[in-house]
Amino acid sequence: MRPVSSPARPPSPPPSAFIPEGTRDVLPPEWEQREALRTRLSALFSAWGYRGVELPALEYADAQHPQDARAFKLIDSGGQVLALRSEFTTAMGRLVRARFAGGPFPLRLHYSGRLWLRALTSELGRLREFGQTGVELIGIEGARADAELLHLAAAALEQVGVNAQLEVGFPGFVDAVLEDAGLHGPARNALHGAVDRKSGADIDLLSRQHGLSGAVTHTLHALTDLYGGPEVLDAAARLSQGVRARAAVDHLTEVSKLYEGNLLYDLGASRRYDYYTGLTFRAYAAGLNQPVLGGGRYTLDGGLPGAGFAMGLERLLRAAAPQLPPQPEVVLALDNAGAKAAREAGLYAELAWTDDLNELRLYSEARGIRRWSRGAKLFDMAELSDMQVNP
Amino acid sequence: MTPAPTRSPDHLTLALPKGRILEEAISLLSRAGLPLTLPEKSRALRHEFPGVTVLELRNQDVPVYVDLGVADAGIVGKDVLIESGREVYEPVDLRFAACRLSLIREVGDTTPIVRVGTKYPGAARAYLNARGIPAEVVKLSGNIELAALTGLAEAVIDLVQTGSTLRANNLEEVDVLFESSARLIVNRAALKLRRERLRPLIERLRELVAEQN
Repeated sequence: MRPVSSPARPPSPPPSAFIPEGTRDVLPPEWEQREALRTRLSALFSAWGYRGVELPALEYADAQHPQDARAFKLIDSGGQVLALRSEFTTAMGRLVRARFAGGPFPLRLHYSGRLWLRALTSELGRLREFGQTGVELIGIEGARADAELLHLAAAALEQVGVNAQLEVGFPGFVDAVLEDAGLHGPARNALHGAVDRKSGADIDLLSRQHGLSGAVTHTLHALTDLYGGPEVLDAAARLSQGVRARAAVDHLTEVSKLYEGNLLYDLGASRRYDYYTGLTFRAYAAGLNQPVLGGGRYTLDGGLPGAGFAMGLERLLRAAAPQLPPQPEVVLALDNAGAKAAREAGLYAELAWTDDLNELRLYSEARGIRRWSRGAKLFDMAELSDMQVNP
Repeated sequence: MTPAPTRSPDHLTLALPKGRILEEAISLLSRAGLPLTLPEKSRALRHEFPGVTVLELRNQDVPVYVDLGVADAGIVGKDVLIESGREVYEPVDLRFAACRLSLIREVGDTTPIVRVGTKYPGAARAYLNARGIPAEVVKLSGNIELAALTGLAEAVIDLVQTGSTLRANNLEEVDVLFESSARLIVNRAALKLRRERLRPLIERLRELVAEQN
C-alpha cells in the first residue's frame, strides 16, 4: 500500500533564502520591542489630538518629488510609472490635498510605516527599507505651532525612554546671510554645503574662487561656529543685517521663550534649505551619536503651511531598547486550563502538542522555557519527574 | 562587540589612520591638550588614555567610524573624505599631509582619454562628468602611474606630493582636481553632545595651525 503522503516528484531546489541588500528580517524579540515603541508613540500622538492615517506604499512617480531620483520605480499594468513610498511628508501632503482640502485646519495627523530608497546607501551603514513614525501639523504657522511640535517631540522621546537633546536650526537664516553678503547662483549653493559641513577650509577655497571680500569670508566662518546653547541666538542677531536674517532670529527667540525646556541651536545648519521654509529640528540621543528624530516647517504643494517630524524606528529602537520593559515569561501549558490560568496571570502560554514529556522537555530547553502549567498549577519543569503525569 | 569600560559622559573616542598621519596627529592633538602619546608598536587596535580612546584604522575607514558615530571625531585626508561621501563636520584644516589629486598623463600624450585608472573612482567620475570626458573609470589599488605607462589607461587620477615620481617616469600633471590636507572631522551629533570637550579642542587646533603658518 502506498503511504498516505509520498514524495511523488523529486524535490525541487528550495527558493533563495537571501533578501535584497539593505533590507532585513525583523525577528523576535526585536519585533515585539518595535511594536511596543510604535504603540506607545501612536497613543501619545492620539492623546495630543493627532489622528492616525495609513498611506499606500505605492505612489505615482513624480519628477518633482524630493526623493524621486532615489525611489524604487515599478511599471503599472497601464504603463504608468509607480514609485515605492520614499518619504512621508510628500505623501501626507498629497493625502491632505485629496482628503482634507477643506480642513478644518489646523489638521493634526500621525502616521507610521515603511519607506524605501533605491540608492545604495546600505554601504554607508544605512538601510534601503526602513520604518518611520511621525506627525504633521498642517494649515497653521507661527511660533506657537513650532513650539507645539518641539514639545510633542520631547514628549515622544520621553515616552519611549530615550534621553535625547533637541536642537533647532533655520536653514533660511544661512541663505539670508549669504544673500545679504551679495552671493547668488552656484557660489551660494556651494557655500551652503561648505557652511553646513562647518568646513572652514572649503569656505576659504570658495571665497578665493569667487573673489569674496575678507569681511564676507569672516561672516561665513562665523556661521560655522553658531552652535550651542541660547547664547547662539545673540551671536546670530549680531550677524544679521537683512530683514530675512533678523526675522529668522526673532522667530527662534520667540519659539525659545515658548518652549519649556532646554534647546540647543545650530544656525549654521542649512541642509535642504530650499525645502524647509522655517525652523528645522532634530534630536540627538546620548550615547548613540546619531539623530533619532528630525523635522521642520515646509510649504505643501498648493501653498498650505505645514510642519512635522519623523522618527526612524530602527535607530530609535537602538536607543530605546535598554529602557523597554522585559517581555512576560513564556510557559508551556499541558492543557487548555493551564494556558488560560497562565495568561490570566499575565504570562504568555504556549500549548503542548503531545504527551511525550521528553519531547516537551527538549523543546522547552531549546526555547528557553523554564515553567510549565497544568490546570491552575504552575510549576518548574524540573519538578515534573516528581509528579504524576496523567492524574 | 567588546563592552567598553565604564566611561564618563564626556569621554572622547577618536579615529586616527595608521602610519605617518598617526604620528603627526598624536603630536598635534597632545599639543592641543589631549593626554595622548604615540602608542608603542603592539598588536593593540584600541588605545586607552585618560578620558580619550584612540582607534587605529585604515584611513578609508576613518570617515565611516565618525559618520556612524562610533568615533566622536577623527583625522583624515580631504582626498579620502571626499571619496567617502560621508556627511561629517570638518571644522579644522590641519595643513599637514598636503598633496593634490591630479589628472596625470604621459608627457605629450594628447590622444583621447578612453579609460582612467585611479584609487578614487568617485572623485574621478565626478571630475570626468563635469568636464564632459566620456571615459571609463577603472579602480586600481596601487602604483597607479603604471596604468598610464603600460597603456591600461590613457590617463590616471592620483595623488601628487612632490611630483618626483612623475618626472622619473616621464609623466606630467595635466590638471588638478583639488588640493588635499589632513582635516579634523567630527560626528554631527557628537559636536553638539560633547561640545564642552570638542569646541575647545577645535579652537586650540585652529590656533596651533595658525601659529605654524
